[in-house]
Amino acid sequence: MRPRARPRQLVAALKQTIPPQLRELAHWLSGAAALAGCAVVGRWISALLSLPIPGSVVGMLLLLLGMMLYGGVPRGIALVSDLLLRLLALLFLPAAVGFYFLRDLNAGDWLGLLAATILGTLLSLTLCALLLKKLLESADARHNDE
Amino acid sequence: MSDAIAGFLHSPLFVLPLNLAAFLFGLKLYRATGTALLHPIVGASALVAVVLLTVDIHYPDYQRASGLLYALLGPAVVALAVPLKQNLGIIRRAGWPLAITLVVGAALAPLVAVGFAMLFGAGHTVILALAGKSVTTPIALAVAEKIHAVESLTAGIVVFTGVVGAVLGPPLLKRMGIDDDRILGLTLGINAHAVGTARALEISALCGAFAALAMGLCGALTALLLPLLLR
Repeated sequence: MRPRARPRQLVAALKQTIPPQLRELAHWLSGAAALAGCAVVGRWISALLSLPIPGSVVGMLLLLLGMMLYGGVPRGIALVSDLLLRLLALLFLPAAVGFYFLRDLNAGDWLGLLAATILGTLLSLTLCALLLKKLLESADARHNDE
Repeated sequence: MSDAIAGFLHSPLFVLPLNLAAFLFGLKLYRATGTALLHPIVGASALVAVVLLTVDIHYPDYQRASGLLYALLGPAVVALAVPLKQNLGIIRRAGWPLAITLVVGAALAPLVAVGFAMLFGAGHTVILALAGKSVTTPIALAVAEKIHAVESLTAGIVVFTGVVGAVLGPPLLKRMGIDDDRILGLTLGINAHAVGTARALEISALCGAFAALAMGLCGALTALLLPLLLR
């Protein structure tokens, strides 16, 4: 009897330990499949209709639309997207490294680059803040009038 | 023998662990110093560049061996739908002032940048790469591919823009007498994408939510409009 009891115990033990892990694995796999699927379908749509919009952005809008219809963020998608977004700097590292190997830029290019990124960013930041401040104030004023 | 070593150095077997190690190094450096000036990508990319130069790997070979990371950029853009979905309720509450600022801001950031670049005599290459400067890097790279901009230049510009906005934005607005976290968050999200959003999250949860929303919507808007404008 003993040799038979052992596998049965084993199965019982497996049943206890594996299902939650399997379920977790299923979440991860389905989340990864959903994100990869949206990226691929987005690329197809972009290519098929020769849209100027990048395929991955079409995929993002597809997923957003899907989740708005679903009425929430499925657990698997939340898990995988959280991981991807935390690793974002790793994903664009190869492109960023190329910055050290740029050769054919002249002094005017570099000056324009610095002006645009420092002065340009500060200017558009200021204008955005002033615009929103103005709009919020007039929205609040109208709200108080009613 | 040396051929075997060179082959190994040019293969993903060496390059992918190098990327991972550099990323962890950059992250550690950023957390140890706690300043947005040292965004993880700054330390990581410097370390990789030094290694490539020392062991004599050409950049295109390194890029080819890093193919797996490039392949994951697409799904990472798709993943941005999640924070967007989670913060969509905010726009319903703050309504049209938010929507207007987003649209104006998404158009203003590249226009102002391109204007300054032209004023200082930058060439066509720089101007194309500046177009996506204020949107989160994976979207900026996807846009760069569509409009045929140099992606390395784009990546560098985007990161630097984010750092400038995140470091100088909050003190600038404070000096202007703006202490509304909604305004600060939205402004950081539009102009300094993920780096600004990380800074906004340190200021307050409300500020962070506005920044995350602005980053996602602004990225989508730019991706929709920019290729149309530049066609």
